[in-house]
Amino acid sequence: MSEVVKVFKNAGGEFTALNRVTACFYAGEFVSVVGKSGSGKSTLVNMLTGIDHPTSGTVRVSDIDIHRLSENDMSVWRGNNLGIVFQFFQLLPTLTLLENVMLPMYLIGKYAPAEREERALRLLERVGLRGMEDKLPAAVSGGQQQSAAIARALANDPPIIIADEPTGNLDSRAAEEVFDLFTNLIDAGKTVLVVTHDISLAKRTSRTLLLSDGELINPWVAHALPRLAHSEMLWLTHHVQPVSYPAGALLPIDDENSEWLWLVTAGQIDLVEATTTGGGRLIASLPGGSFLAGREIQPGWLAHAGADRPLELLVVAGADFTHWCDQHPAVWTGLKQSRRLHPFSGGQ
Amino acid sequence: MRRPRWQKVLADLWGNRTRSLLVVASIAVGLFALGVMAAIYAVALEDLQRGYAAVNPANIAIQTSLFSQGLVERLQQVEGVQDAQGVRLYSTRLLVPPDEWIAVDIQAFHEPANPTVNRLVLIEGNMPTSKDQIVIDRYRFADTKARLGDQITVELRSGRTRKLTLVGIVQDQTIGAFRGAGGFFNAPVQGYVNQETMESLEQPLPKRYNSLYLTVEGNSADPIYLEEVAREVRRVLEDNQVQIVSTALRSSTDHPNLYLARALLAVLIVIGFFVVFLSGFLITNTLQALINQQVAQIGIMKSVGGRRVQIAGIYLLLNLVYGLLAFLIAMPLSFQVAFWVVDYLTVQMNSSFFGYRLLPEVIILEAVIAVLMPQFAALPPVWQGTRISVQEALSGIRQDHPPHQGWLDRRISRLRNTSLLLVISLRNTFRRKGRLLLTVLTLSLGGAVFIATFNVRVSLLNYVDQIIRYFLADVNITLDRPYRIDEVAALVQQVPGVKMVEGWAFARTELVKADGSVGESVALLAPPAESPLVQPILLEGRWINAGDQNAIALSELFRERFPNLRVGDTIRLQVNGDETDWVIVGFYQLAGKISGLAAYTSYESLAKLTHQSGRSIAYRVVSVRPGLSQSEQQALGKAVEQHLERAGITVVDMTTGKDLYENAAEGFDVLTAFLLFLSLLTALVGSIGLTGTMSLNVMERTREVGVLRAIGASDRILMRMVLLEGAVIGLVSWVLASLAALPISKLMSDAISQALFGGPANFGYTPLGFMVWLAAVVLLSISASIMPARNATRLTIREVLAYE
Repeated sequence: MSEVVKVFKNAGGEFTALNRVTACFYAGEFVSVVGKSGSGKSTLVNMLTGIDHPTSGTVRVSDIDIHRLSENDMSVWRGNNLGIVFQFFQLLPTLTLLENVMLPMYLIGKYAPAEREERALRLLERVGLRGMEDKLPAAVSGGQQQSAAIARALANDPPIIIADEPTGNLDSRAAEEVFDLFTNLIDAGKTVLVVTHDISLAKRTSRTLLLSDGELINPWVAHALPRLAHSEMLWLTHHVQPVSYPAGALLPIDDENSEWLWLVTAGQIDLVEATTTGGGRLIASLPGGSFLAGREIQPGWLAHAGADRPLELLVVAGADFTHWCDQHPAVWTGLKQSRRLHPFSGGQ
Repeated sequence: MRRPRWQKVLADLWGNRTRSLLVVASIAVGLFALGVMAAIYAVALEDLQRGYAAVNPANIAIQTSLFSQGLVERLQQVEGVQDAQGVRLYSTRLLVPPDEWIAVDIQAFHEPANPTVNRLVLIEGNMPTSKDQIVIDRYRFADTKARLGDQITVELRSGRTRKLTLVGIVQDQTIGAFRGAGGFFNAPVQGYVNQETMESLEQPLPKRYNSLYLTVEGNSADPIYLEEVAREVRRVLEDNQVQIVSTALRSSTDHPNLYLARALLAVLIVIGFFVVFLSGFLITNTLQALINQQVAQIGIMKSVGGRRVQIAGIYLLLNLVYGLLAFLIAMPLSFQVAFWVVDYLTVQMNSSFFGYRLLPEVIILEAVIAVLMPQFAALPPVWQGTRISVQEALSGIRQDHPPHQGWLDRRISRLRNTSLLLVISLRNTFRRKGRLLLTVLTLSLGGAVFIATFNVRVSLLNYVDQIIRYFLADVNITLDRPYRIDEVAALVQQVPGVKMVEGWAFARTELVKADGSVGESVALLAPPAESPLVQPILLEGRWINAGDQNAIALSELFRERFPNLRVGDTIRLQVNGDETDWVIVGFYQLAGKISGLAAYTSYESLAKLTHQSGRSIAYRVVSVRPGLSQSEQQALGKAVEQHLERAGITVVDMTTGKDLYENAAEGFDVLTAFLLFLSLLTALVGSIGLTGTMSLNVMERTREVGVLRAIGASDRILMRMVLLEGAVIGLVSWVLASLAALPISKLMSDAISQALFGGPANFGYTPLGFMVWLAAVVLLSISASIMPARNATRLTIREVLAYE
């Protein structure tokens, strides 16, 4: 999806649910989209499934700009290419689990009528519902309904599965089971995108997109500073600038009264304390995903780009960082807490 | 600041305008149907009777030999007589260009511009104040194919013709008043002239009268009083050597087609009864669905402290607003349509319409129903809906209602090798059984009434068929005077295609009561004994046999009027002034009240009494080929007529058997048209009900439509799914309508027959009604579902599933 903007208008004014979101999803990936309530997760998924249209920007799946399709064509395209799993399962209450699973095959006509029942039974077996095929959705548990919904999503063997809060209405055990099913789908070569607010479940995915106020948080920010509030992460996302240094270069740690923040995205920072002998003692090596704040630097410390390869940083300039920390004292507290997660690996 | 309760009501009303429109339309259509019926009921009979009384209709009509204006003036002095009027009646024919002759009754009054009794209402043109001017009654005016100012050619006794100028069109509401009920539809064209014109029509003693019309001072609805006045008038006539042919009595409000109006109103009551239920079902269904949609809001209101009574109050207030809006739409519309219908009936039944007006009783009825019915209908769902717990309302899950599959659900779930689409449609159809039941009941009742209309028509035509058994000839001819039967028969037999000719005798007689007084008129018909042209339906006893002397068979009306009469009894009739005893050999069924008192005897018996043995004025002609069409009968009749006229015999009237059938059926056609209108009205209520149900079903299932969209359902599939559901409801309702149609047909036929014929219906049914309704209901169901189906396809998935 490229530069996708979604603005909702109502009597109260305009509300930007997605702001210039650009993201790529690759075949075979297991991606989670995480964010707080109202962050725009569902809007993002709805853009991808064609359930809603963007105000601007494009969404392409393979080579198809899906939002150029009519409602009818979109429906048929969706039936062939996407399996959608909803938070509230959305099984048709008048159909049995088996019929619910057979329904997409009937609607698209992808499999011969004689094959449909057998295939649906196989899918139900795969999600652990064999023997329950003749039950109505209301007669089974929430977890079982969601399993049936996953089976339905797989009915036409679509390459992409998109699940919007699939565990939102399930207990933790059932949620784990559902995620097990998704993991199996990845193994079977599917691409799976899951929206969740459960960080622990998101960790089971290969990539996580963090959304805040309709914008994607820079993944390096999220990774390096997980203890920051999402709004703070978003602030950082807006204020970081990429900077590169050649391998072994001496880094300018005393710039602007030492008030800055670096996030390592490639290479590493070697933090060294100058010794009286004229040599240096390695305090810490900060690899990709680490951060370093100017106010952590002690007198006599030096910083170098790792000797092996060039260093890529995301840098928050001094004035911005100082102002931000002054305005929001909690930021520095959050940074310190994050440091506890990623302590200097060297001598301190 | 508006109170929150009103705020919520207004928000519900305006926030979902489609739903509000649907609810208001559902209530309005029920109110409209009821309003139309109530307004017709209030206006039709009242205007008919008021209009009839306004023309000062005769209470006593006496057919006589000729008498003078002086005698009329003397009769006006008789105690009890208010107005008296002499009329000269001349039955002849007029020419419809180029060469068709049709029967016309011409009446001349002393002052035709302003008759005192049986007043004419001028519709167009002028009254006939000068010689050779004529005005014609509007009902059969079209048959003359004439326009105002045209010359109308009238046949004279000598065989010559005379041209009269048509100067006006009038309405004579008394047509048929003294020919027995149903006479209006059998009456020929009616013309009115002054006495000078009558003189030019070759009438002997043209300024004398042969009919006397009288009104009475006292209560005309009292038959004993009428009879007393009539007896005194007859005495005066007889004292003046005037021979009395027949006497008939009628009250001032007894319009000749009152029987028909009563039959219409009887149907109206039966159908109105059903429409009350239909409307009730419709409103209940709609409001139940409304409450179902509001469950979550009820939960929210409860969660913020709303009490059940308070919440119920909000919905009842909303219903009140819906009801009032529906009333504002339905009331003027129902008046408009009711008055259109009354206006149509007025022309068809030759009655009066006193114009558009407000009917307070109907307005009050509609207002009360508009206010109360939605409340009654909504009370159970509102009460039940507001009983829901906050948790249930907000989660949408009813804890105390585990999924239950009934017999029907189990049967449907066994549908395996069927299209999944059909399975979904079927299960959706039977999903909300309460709503389905009410919808199906509404549609079924509408359908049953619709089907019943066809069956009622058959029942009515059964009566016509019954009458026709007494008029089986292809051609009925009336000559200007009695001719020898063998002479006429020999002549007619010369016409190619004629198989048989019969000369019949006919007499207007009067029943002589036990006290010697003369009472009601009896039409006495006398075909040759064992004539094949009468196939009587015998109720008791036997028919007239050859060799019977003064044997008589009486119509069933005698048994109603004189319950003590038995086969073997003797009755006394006055025929041509002479009293004769007749032995009753049997009772036959004709057409109840509609046919008046009638009796059959043998030609030989009557001809002997009237001293006309071997002679006759009336002839029945039968074709060699059976089953002639109307035009073939006309052609045969014309050939006979021309042949007789060439032989110097004047034909006064020629009517085909099919003409008689059509005239008899004509009155019923008004009834059938009215029935059809009412059944369309009920069908309208039913189909609006179905449209509402389908729309509500789709509204309630928007989420499912979204899910179907999400998993690949195309527009075509969604359309088919909704249309199929509508068609299933339609077909289920058709089956029920077909079953319900039988008792409803019987009920309606009996109600009409009781009003028309004074007895239960000669019940019949036709597959036509069932087939037409099948086609109609499938069409209705599909068209009622098209809008909801289109709405379903227009629902974009984001409206449904995007942001829950």
